[in-house]
Amino acid sequence: MGAAPQASPDQRVAEFRKVFSRAEQEVGRVIVGHQDVVRKLLTALFSGGHILIEGVPGLGKTLMCKTAADTLGLSFKRIQFTPDLMPSDIIGTQVLTETDGHREFQFKPGPIFAHVVLGDEINRATPKTQSAVLEAMEEHQVTVFGLTYRLDPPYLVLATQNPIELEGTYPLPEAQMDRFLFKVVMVSPKPDELREILGRTTGTRAHQTEAIFKPATAAQEIEALKGLVREVMVAEPLERYIIAVIGACTPGGPGAIPEVSQYLRFGPSPRGAQAIILSAKVNALLAGRVTVSYEDIDDAVVPCLRHRLLRNFQAEAENVSTESILEQVQKRLKRPRA
Amino acid sequence: MPNPVEILGRARNRIAHVAAIRAGAYAIAPAIVAILLALGLGPIGRITWVRWGYVLAPEHAAMLRDALYAIAAGAVAAGAIIAVRAYRRALDFVAAAERVDNAVHARQEILTFATLADPDLGEAANASRTPLFPLLWRHAIGLLERFDSIKAFPLALGRPLARSSMIAAALAAVMILAAMGLVRPPTREQAIATRLREIAREIEATSTDPTDRAIAGEASAAADALENPKLPPEQKLKKLADVMRDLDQKKKGAGGDKKGAGTGGGTQAAKGKGNGQSQGGKQGQGSGPGGSDKSNQPGTGSGKSQQGKNNGSSGKGGKQDKTSVELQNELAKAQAQVETDAANSPKPDANKPGDDNKPGNAPKSGGNPEQKGSAPNPDSTRPGNVPKAGAAAQQNVPPTGGAQNSTKDMGSNLGDTHLGETPAAANYQRYLKPGEKGAALDIHDARYVMFRLPNSATVGAGGKTVIDTNRPTATTAYVNAPLKETRDQTTPDERQLVPPRYRDLIH
Repeated sequence: MGAAPQASPDQRVAEFRKVFSRAEQEVGRVIVGHQDVVRKLLTALFSGGHILIEGVPGLGKTLMCKTAADTLGLSFKRIQFTPDLMPSDIIGTQVLTETDGHREFQFKPGPIFAHVVLGDEINRATPKTQSAVLEAMEEHQVTVFGLTYRLDPPYLVLATQNPIELEGTYPLPEAQMDRFLFKVVMVSPKPDELREILGRTTGTRAHQTEAIFKPATAAQEIEALKGLVREVMVAEPLERYIIAVIGACTPGGPGAIPEVSQYLRFGPSPRGAQAIILSAKVNALLAGRVTVSYEDIDDAVVPCLRHRLLRNFQAEAENVSTESILEQVQKRLKRPRA
Repeated sequence: MPNPVEILGRARNRIAHVAAIRAGAYAIAPAIVAILLALGLGPIGRITWVRWGYVLAPEHAAMLRDALYAIAAGAVAAGAIIAVRAYRRALDFVAAAERVDNAVHARQEILTFATLADPDLGEAANASRTPLFPLLWRHAIGLLERFDSIKAFPLALGRPLARSSMIAAALAAVMILAAMGLVRPPTREQAIATRLREIAREIEATSTDPTDRAIAGEASAAADALENPKLPPEQKLKKLADVMRDLDQKKKGAGGDKKGAGTGGGTQAAKGKGNGQSQGGKQGQGSGPGGSDKSNQPGTGSGKSQQGKNNGSSGKGGKQDKTSVELQNELAKAQAQVETDAANSPKPDANKPGDDNKPGNAPKSGGNPEQKGSAPNPDSTRPGNVPKAGAAAQQNVPPTGGAQNSTKDMGSNLGDTHLGETPAAANYQRYLKPGEKGAALDIHDARYVMFRLPNSATVGAGGKTVIDTNRPTATTAYVNAPLKETRDQTTPDERQLVPPRYRDLIH
């Protein structure tokens, strides 16, 4: 499967939509509900970003990530973050080995060397360990004893975070939070969905997914589709709109609304704007367009920026969420329509 | 296959034109209203403040009119500037594409296409294109295939005109308030001038005779002169006299036509009496005193040009004759008013060198035989009310009373009145027979003189009392014109009660 490199733009767009739609369906065969989370997960994959999933235990976060990786024919590794987890446990270490009578250090890759890496309960690890994944997330490479090792593309880090049982946890540092394209929140399933979950998980019939790509070619196919995402065009007025959104979310920034100045310490970094554009491009392709629209941008604003806004004490005391602030920003901002 | 760039270019031009027209439309209503107000200031005044008894001074009217014309010109200029700026601002390819995008619900596909195909950017736009651009081009063709920029961007002028109308209404309200603030109760001269204009308009409306129209025009001009405060009284009087003269000449001509038999008296500088009977087409009879002295001799002060009273032309002349008589009356009022004002105005300094060279306001000799004299028998030895020039200007004082007299009034040694004299009744001869001259009236401090021609009843056939149709009727202007204000307007030095014996005499 996959469009030939010399395929026409129409065929490439159609292929993208087909792959994406099929991936959603395959994941949906295992995961009940959470279509929005699945879409964001796939969007992050095709955008070249990473995703932070927040939800209480037992909602199927780990299963969702593994199913998505299996569906796309990508390698998958899972890291259970604990307080005693060391960085070398993630990125790997040099191991002294003996070969032909010679002893030498040989790099033993850690679980971070995979296409899809699930960092389960990432907030339970120490900041030192958390920061070990920073380079991998941003540069798609790790450095051990001065040697740099490339991570094979596509590379997607899926981190989960438990909002409860916060004792003994270490909130993710701002720099690390900024490296996630999305932060999505998984909510408890609805009764019908829960009934479906019970039916699927407590019976004898196991639901299997069918891989869309062969493992040998999956990476290449997905990289081609990621290239298509980058080719989607954005008009200058829409770029100005995104910049206006970022400015409005930045305390003291141009066009900052009163709520932002009142409840935020810091606003989004330029990575926020990049995340919005990339996410909007995927949305445009899914809609069959090769240009970004205002609706695509609006859909991307909250998941792309909610974890990039740092609330101040007043906001936490008054329980003002970043989502509500972003909604206010979107209401106040007028699209530059004629 | 349509070219989406050309379609967007046409849409851009259409948007620019519509924007320019809409922007310019904001100035239309204020400009039109300002011009209409300026042109209609007179009619508006006639149905509003003139009807309510107020007048708008000509200089104020001219100021308002100029302001309205200036506002109209400013509105037109501002509208043109705004239109040009709106046109230039709307001549934006990408902005036009955004409007087209909204019109065809393209979800920013047309907008993006325009940013990548803007002919003004040239190669810079091409550099931003991606391999997906051909697909976007086809999408744009599909979206713009049936796009009609004229239908999509109609020339809707309702909103600009509505807003413009509000501006115009505000402007009209402001100007009306300004006019209301400038109107004043009319002065005597303005009232006369207004009446003169009305009569002039009536003459113009009812008469086709060029002479009448010329007289009407002169009357209007005289009215304008009358209201012009900068015009010296001499010129005002001259204009009034010109109208009187023309009117008189016209009447003479008409009288000649009407005369069938009889003699006409009262020609210029003719003395004596004349009885005339008109038996012409107008079937009128007229009789009256025809005495007319002309002794307008500069320097002697006795020269009041007596207006001759025409006989024979006072028949039933219809409406035009009536209008002419009214015109004469108003002219006479105007003359009297001007003379009064001139007398009340500060006198020139007789000791000032060079005053001798200034012309006095004496009427031209023989110019207007209809001009009334101050007395039937002018005494050339008495100083009349003809102003003297130069050193003799000291004599330009009213013959009776006046401020100078009152200043000489030293009061009574009895200490009871400030005048020190008791008004004495005179034996006024109220009625004069035709041609008869009464004694000179010596009236002090009178504001008006009322006189009335006597009714004349006679006995007809069979002892029946009938109205004498041959009764003398007024052929010249009679007027209750105000005489000179001679009272001293200054505040008295002291106030005392009027002695009881004088209380019945003073009203």
